[in-house]
Amino acid sequence: MKRRAQPWLGTFVEIAIADALGDDILISCFNCAFSAIAEVHRLMSFHDAASDVSRINRASAGETVEVHPHTYEVLQAALSVTRESGGIFDVVCAVRLVEWGCLPSPEGSMPNYSLRHNALTLEDECMVRKSRALWIDLGGIAKGYAVDLAVAELKRCGVQSACVNAGGDLRVFGDTSFPVLIRDPRSPCEAGLQLQLQNEALASSGNYFSIGRYGSALVNGHDGQPCTGEFSVSVCASTCMLADALTKVVAASRDPQHPALAHFGAAAFII
Amino acid sequence: MKQLHLATLAATAAASGFAFATQYLTVEQAQRVMFPDATQFKDTHLQLSPEQMRQVEKLSGLPARSVNWRVFAAYHGDALLGHVVLDDVIGKFELISYAVALNPDASIKQVEILTYRESHGFEIKNPAWRKQFVGKTAQSGLAVGEGIANISGATLSCTHVTDGVRRIAAIAQVMLKK
Repeated sequence: MKRRAQPWLGTFVEIAIADALGDDILISCFNCAFSAIAEVHRLMSFHDAASDVSRINRASAGETVEVHPHTYEVLQAALSVTRESGGIFDVVCAVRLVEWGCLPSPEGSMPNYSLRHNALTLEDECMVRKSRALWIDLGGIAKGYAVDLAVAELKRCGVQSACVNAGGDLRVFGDTSFPVLIRDPRSPCEAGLQLQLQNEALASSGNYFSIGRYGSALVNGHDGQPCTGEFSVSVCASTCMLADALTKVVAASRDPQHPALAHFGAAAFII
Repeated sequence: MKQLHLATLAATAAASGFAFATQYLTVEQAQRVMFPDATQFKDTHLQLSPEQMRQVEKLSGLPARSVNWRVFAAYHGDALLGHVVLDDVIGKFELISYAVALNPDASIKQVEILTYRESHGFEIKNPAWRKQFVGKTAQSGLAVGEGIANISGATLSCTHVTDGVRRIAAIAQVMLKK
């Protein structure tokens, strides 16, 4: 097992390749996968003024913004999770995260936070329309997407079995079964559970490393309140993007059988 | 509907009392990964003058120590390819060694984590934790069962590392730029 780690997406991204490959091939496989992660970071960072996310946030009400196909794909998935969760998952939550001190305030005046979930519309050809002033944050879904892209890159490079882990949002593929430890939410430097993963994605969310006013960076889009508490949610799904987004639905509803999980073919547990 | 292996979950609820540690790359491996074309790495001693320290702080917004910077200049023959700067982060939960590769114009080429360890204080206090590492090389990291574990959980921020990278970029701007 060869492993590498780099800081991206506000966390540490670790890639482990199980194949027995020569050093030069390994280096190029790792580089391809990390390039995919870096691209998602560049496109979807809330902190980077040049990202698609910042361009959407700066746009005025009524304006249409062209985004990269990757960003468009993430927004499509985000809106479908918003729909299936009755608005619990909502990427238009960045105002709350800025108010709570979890994200830095971008330039420009802060929009009003709204519990209505129809202000962002996806039009053809990667165009995104804003019907009112709003700030989005893809922090609850982009890490999962980055993992999926990196997995696709590794497969394209001919890798048979690997694990990509972006700060706890991870996906494994191939014949190797990977042991995964779930942090204990009440003692996060220790393991609360261990499980084996094969050809699936797992994402976990919790508050134990969160900063800010409420010690939570999880917004319940249903009422705009933080999902506080010493618990963690893990979701297993076919893609890491879905697993990542659905952890927020389970964290807010505290329902490991929330109907959105079945809709997306996912399963969850809370510890 | 996806089925979770709940039997496995219940059966292997892990015993508490260990931390996480992994070595990703040695310094030599990092050099090779970051500058694959290099034929030579020269150890370069870097010492910041008070004026240079002020410049670094102005550029990065972070204070910088004057000494103890481990820097290697990468060469292909006589041609300078860039530099590798080593640094450590000691956070509340983590102890991380990392390497930053810089181009000759002082722009950042690559950042690699060399070693990552959590809860380093815990290790010293808990002999049982240390015992499980007896006979394991640093290379193998934390072993659970036969494999090496991945961790799923909320994000441990990489802020300390990104601050460190910003400081090193400023040092490169002030001292290494060609």
